[in-house]
Order: sequence, then C-alpha cells, then structure tokens
Amino acid sequence: MSSSLDSPHTASSTTPSQDTVAADRVTDRGRAGLRSLALPVGLLGLIVLGTLLSDRFLSTANLLNVLTSMSLVGIVVVGMTFVIISGGLADLSVPATLATGAIVMLSTQPTVGTALALLLAVASAGAAGLVNGILIGYGRANSIIVTLGVGTIVLGLAQAVVGGAIVYGEDPELAELVNGRVLGLVPFPVVVFALVAVVGHLALSRSVWGRWTYAVGSNYRATEASAVPVRATRAAAFLVTGLLAGLSGALLAISLQSVRPVIGTGYEFDAITAVLVGGVSVLGGFGSIPRAVAGLFFVQLLTNILVLQGISTPAQGLAKGALIAVAVGVDVHLRRRGGL
Amino acid sequence: MTDHVTTTDDAQAHPPALEMVGISKSFPGVRALTDVDLRVLPGRVHAIVGENGAGKSTLMKILAGVHQPDAGTLTVGGREVVIGSPLDAQRMGIGMVYQELNLVPDLSVAENICLGRMPRRFGVLDRRAMEQAATTALADLDAQVHWSTTVGDLTVSQQQLVEICKVYASRPDIVVLDEPTSSLSEHESQVLFDVVRRMRDRGISVIYISHRLREVLEIADDVTVLRDGHRIESRPVAGLTPADMIRLMVGRDLTEVFPKREVELGETVLEVRGLTRSGAFADVDLNIRRGEIVGLAGLVGSGRTEVARALFGLDRADAGSVVVAGRPVDVRRPGHAVAAGVAYVPEDRKADGIVPALSVRDNLSLASLGRRSRAGMVLARQERALAGEQIASLGVSPAAPERRIDTLSGGNQQKVVLGKWLATRPHVLILDEPTRGVDVGAKADIHRIIGDLAASGVGILLISSELPEVLAVSDRVLVLHEGRVAADLSAADATEAAVMHAATGQEAA
Repeated sequence: MSSSLDSPHTASSTTPSQDTVAADRVTDRGRAGLRSLALPVGLLGLIVLGTLLSDRFLSTANLLNVLTSMSLVGIVVVGMTFVIISGGLADLSVPATLATGAIVMLSTQPTVGTALALLLAVASAGAAGLVNGILIGYGRANSIIVTLGVGTIVLGLAQAVVGGAIVYGEDPELAELVNGRVLGLVPFPVVVFALVAVVGHLALSRSVWGRWTYAVGSNYRATEASAVPVRATRAAAFLVTGLLAGLSGALLAISLQSVRPVIGTGYEFDAITAVLVGGVSVLGGFGSIPRAVAGLFFVQLLTNILVLQGISTPAQGLAKGALIAVAVGVDVHLRRRGGL
Repeated sequence: MTDHVTTTDDAQAHPPALEMVGISKSFPGVRALTDVDLRVLPGRVHAIVGENGAGKSTLMKILAGVHQPDAGTLTVGGREVVIGSPLDAQRMGIGMVYQELNLVPDLSVAENICLGRMPRRFGVLDRRAMEQAATTALADLDAQVHWSTTVGDLTVSQQQLVEICKVYASRPDIVVLDEPTSSLSEHESQVLFDVVRRMRDRGISVIYISHRLREVLEIADDVTVLRDGHRIESRPVAGLTPADMIRLMVGRDLTEVFPKREVELGETVLEVRGLTRSGAFADVDLNIRRGEIVGLAGLVGSGRTEVARALFGLDRADAGSVVVAGRPVDVRRPGHAVAAGVAYVPEDRKADGIVPALSVRDNLSLASLGRRSRAGMVLARQERALAGEQIASLGVSPAAPERRIDTLSGGNQQKVVLGKWLATRPHVLILDEPTRGVDVGAKADIHRIIGDLAASGVGILLISSELPEVLAVSDRVLVLHEGRVAADLSAADATEAAVMHAATGQEAA
C-alpha cells in the first residue's frame, strides 16, 4: 500500500524550525501588508473625518441608522463574496431575485402565513440562483451574460405576475417587528445580517466547500485536476446568492409593506462595490467575509457622511463609482507586485 | 552537429557584446547576487547554469531592465549603460524570450511577429510590409511556420519559434532564452537548436538558460555557472562533462538521476485494455504491478499525456477498460479516478498543478479534504498534521506551511503537488514530466521519492521527455508512436536507440 506519510503519529517530530516560520511570516506580512492595513486605516480616517464634519455623526442613533441601512445589502454581500472569490465575477441578477423574494413574500403571506411565505420567498429566489449556477457552473457560460439574462427574465416574470402594479402588505404588526429592535437594543435586520455573516464566514473559512471556493477561484484547472467538484462549487456560490437575495427582499418587503418590481435596483452594484472595496480580488481566489463586510461599512459610512453634509445624490454616485475604480486598481496593482 | 570551437580565437578579438562586472543585488532578506561577472562574446551561445535560486533569473532580470543592480556596471556593445526599464533593454538591442510566451493567440503569426512595431503607411497598417517583415524573419531562422496561420492553432513548439522570430525581428544583438526546451520533445529541441545556431551565425549573442546539461553541452560555446548568487566559473564548454558541470553547480558530487532501487514486484495494480480516444490514441494496453515503475516514452504528440489524462478522467476515453487493484472502474471524472486510487501529477504544473493563491498546506490537503473533514467542516488539526508530515518527508523548503505556494521554487512546488497526491494514498501514481523545469537537487529528491513510493507498493507510470531519466528510473518502458503502443521494452532492452527507434515509428533495430 501507500507509504505511512500521513500517519498522524509523526506530526510532532516534523514541526518546521521556528526561525524559518517566523521569517516567512514576516515577508508574507510585508507583501500583504498594504492590503490588510488599508481598510482599517481607511475606516478610522472616515470616522475621524465624519466626527470633525458633523456633531451628529458619532451619535448612537446615527450609527445604528448606518448599521440598519447596511444590513439588507449586507445579506447580499455575503453571497456576492462567495461568487467573486469563486472566480464567478459577479451576480447581476440580484435586483431581480431580490424583487422576487419581496413580491412572493407580500403576495403569499396573507394566505399561507408568515413562516411559509418567507420560505417560499427564499426558495423562489433560490430557484433563480440555481438556474444561474447550473448555466455557469455546469454549462460553463459567462456569468455576466447569464445573470443579466436570467435577471431580466425573472424580473419580467415578476412584473407579469403582479401586473406592473404595487403589491401591498396586510400585516403592519409584522412590519413593526422587523422595523423594531431585538431585546429593545439591536435593530432586527442587523441581527439577521450578523447571523448570515457569521455563518457565511464559517462556511467560507472553515468548511470543505469554502476551501474549494477559494481553490476554484484561484486556479480552476488545477482544482479540477485535484478531483474537486468544481462545477458544483461554482454553481453553489450563485445558488447561495439567490437564496440570500430572496431573504433580503422578503425582509425589505415586510419592512415597507409595499413592493414594486424595481425594488432591488442598485443592490447588485452596492454589493459588488462593498466586496471590491473590501479588497476581495475581482479575479477570484482571495478575500473573506469580514473584509467584504468592512468594505460595506466603509462605503456606508462614506455615504452617511455625504448625506450629513447635504451632498446631492448624483454626486454620491460619483464618489461611489470612483471608489470602485480605486479598489480595482489597487487590487490589480497588488496582484502584480505579489508576482501573480 | 557543426564544429564551432574554431571560432573561439577570432571571436575573442572582438569586444564583448555584453559585459556585466561586479553585479550585486539584494532583496529584503535575501542576497540574490554577489559580485557577479558575466562576459558574453558576439556570435557565441553562452549558457548560464545553476540550481533554482542560484541567481540566474535575477541576473537576467537586471539585463532586461526589470531590476536595477545595487552595485556593478553593465557594458553593452562597448558602451557603459544603465538599463532602467524593459523598454530601455529593447532599445539597446537586448531581446528576451521567456518561458511563458507573450503571444496573442487570436492574431496571425505575422501580426504577432510585428506586434508593437507594425509597419504603417499613411497612418494605416501596411499589411504587405508586415507580411514581408514576418516572412523575412521566419526565413532567416528557417522556422517552418506560415505567416498567415493563427497563433492559437500552432503547437507549443511552433509558438515558441514564433516568439523567437518576434524577438529576432526587432534586430537584437543579444537574445536571452530562458529554459526554452522545457516543454519540447527531443526532436523539437533539435529544431530549436538549429534556430539558435542560425541566430549565432548571424552574429547575435545568445544567452541560454537551461537545466538540461546535455543540451548546454550540445548547443553552448561558453558557460557560466552560478551558485548561491556567486559566479563559480566561466569557461568554454569544450572539454566539460555533465559530471563536471553538476559538481560546479551543486558544489558536490551528485548523480544526475537517482538509481532505481530493487523492489519486489507484487500483483497487478493497474490493468488497461484497449483504451481508445479517437484522434489521440488507440488500443492502448498497459499493465503495472505493485512496486513497478513503468516509463511511458514517445515524442510529444504521440499521445502520452492524452493517455494519462484519460486514465485520470480529465478526458473521456471512447473505448477500453480500466481495472485498478482488481476492481473495474469507469473513469469519467477525476473524482472517480481518485476514489479508485489513481493519482496524477500533471505535466503543466502552473496550469494544472498548483492553486497559486492558496498556502502550501491548503494545496497539500486539496485532493484529500473530504477525508479530513467532519460534517463538511475541515478538521484543522488533521490538516496541519498532514502538512507537517508531507513537508518533512518530501523535504519541501522553506518548511513553511502557511506560505503561499507560488512563492516557492519550481522544484518545491512540484514536491507539494506530489505530496497532495500521496495524501490520497494512491494505488497508482501517474507522473507526467515530474522533473520538468526542476533543478538538479530537487530532481534527485523527486527520484528518491518515486523510488520510495515504488518500494512501498505503489504502481507508477512515468512520462518524461528526458529519455535518460525514463531509462534510469523505469523497470519497463512502453513506447507510444502516433497514439499506439509501438514497443514494450524491459529495462534490459530499453536502450536510448531502441526507444527512439520505436518512438519514431521505425521497426526495432
């Protein structure tokens, strides 16, 4: 049979020399230094800036406001991180899948009840995500074209079902719950977002599937040649994004109690911005959920400061767009220097 | 082969085409070059040899303007120069041909050759002049490629010729070839050598970097040996033996290939009957016993790699049966092969072997992650233990499991790829060019590992373009010619001549 190379008993005798390990850590850190330090420093800078510019900025109310408004996008960000790390570029069907979740939630809730409506909302958005995943993972189709196409079809379907009209909810009490605070402290969407982020982080950093996601994004062929189910791995990233967009849409619908098919517009852009600003590589293989969340926090704080300063919406768009360009530029630059 | 020793005297009468004096270069934490001199004469092929990490690539990157030396001077064509950028190097007549080809696959040969200096007339591309320039370059070097072919349709060796023609067309005085034969068969290498000789005969100085000592002896006029960033020796090649060169490179005696160990052969562990994939290979029969090392020889394009890929499920076979350790297997995906106990170390390490953004540890566990997990979560302690063992037993250097694999040298990356497969405890290990682009020291290590594996009862299928390696390591040699088994030779019968006869489709002598 094979050699005894992986018997666990010899582990202790093979620990590498401490010196080498320490030395290597230092050089590795040096290389990744800018990347890992840029965001915390940027966040700190923003907080200082916000505090200087407005005395309302550092208030609990304002910060809770920022957290709440980032939660629904944040749920999508977790899925988008999987997509981008797996080398899937981006999921542009988010506005459609999110709207699907929202519409299904409000239109079925009066008849089937809250729990089942939520399940249906998440499942129907997940179905769209699954179609994305199958076409991209198994059909090897371009993810931008697929998600754009599937998104357009799904949004068309949604509009046909509701007849282009606004769907209204019939449960203001539920809206109260979602708009309220858990234990009178933390806003409900923030709790959901935190849960999703923690589970997503564990899955990405500790699970077999998570490891496969990184590997597929870094080198598809070598990962395939390592007997990893590459197609399923990539498909799963899009399925997860569909499910999470559905969840986010359902929460948004409950909170607003009225839904139009265009409700999800811009969510894909905000999610991609957050992930890229967080230093997750556009080309796949590198990044993490905490990074993406930090990226989201950065963008939200920036937006908040712009709003507090009374800067117009178009100018805000300009600032966000510039931010993406810088993030992508830095990523490409660091990749080159990293010798990739 | 032409005799070029006679040119030595008059060549030395001319000033050197390139003179690098006292070159030193440090990177944070590493001293890459210390006081290195290099003197390249016009119209000579000058080989630079040394183990990985000896400083060859740093020296060449300084010449190419990628790095600036900390100390030392460069003289090109008798003028002292500072090469501040790759563009500077190009202007000074220094052409670089890297291992990774810089061609645009969707453009034609002519467009690629003229890329970056397209001839123009009235501001528009002058197609006629472009074809003319390309045809001239191809003809000068006698490269058998047509200017109108799309580069993506060419074989790797033809693409390399195009790359060389592209550099040649910029009229350089000095051309650097970095490991040019690492993906070529014997025959293709000979074609390349002819091209190199033609450049030399046109007065170009060729700097030739290679791991293959026989080639250096065949093609080079002069050689410079680097070791640990120091120049050990510069001299004409005439009179050197491979053993001399190895001694200079590693500073100790070392056999180029690890001798085959005597291993008691066990029962048949891989039995392949009538394996066929149309257009690639047909009717391949193959038997490997436990502890046996079977060499698979043949020219590039003979179907060697294709057979390996089909056995591993990366390509589908159209017909044939595969039995691993007594159990028939239907290999449609790599997952099936791995489950049956087949492992495959691929030919193209960068494309199919390593996952660059992951650490050494993550690469080592990638193929066996399923069995190192519970409820879908990776068992971190088991994974760390695995990495520690593999790094120690394979001699991966540096022994740093957290380090990104793409920061390791080629030989160490290859050890990690091997380790990844050993962790799956295979019955059969297919090795496709396991020592390509690997330095002498790592090569000996890899041969030792292969020997140990055979001794532990693994059946090994070894594909290599280096015939001496196949002959020295294998118990039996199977020779493919145009997708069919042309000969099945025992170690005693497998001579270089016999294998080449079968591989080129001639009847056994």
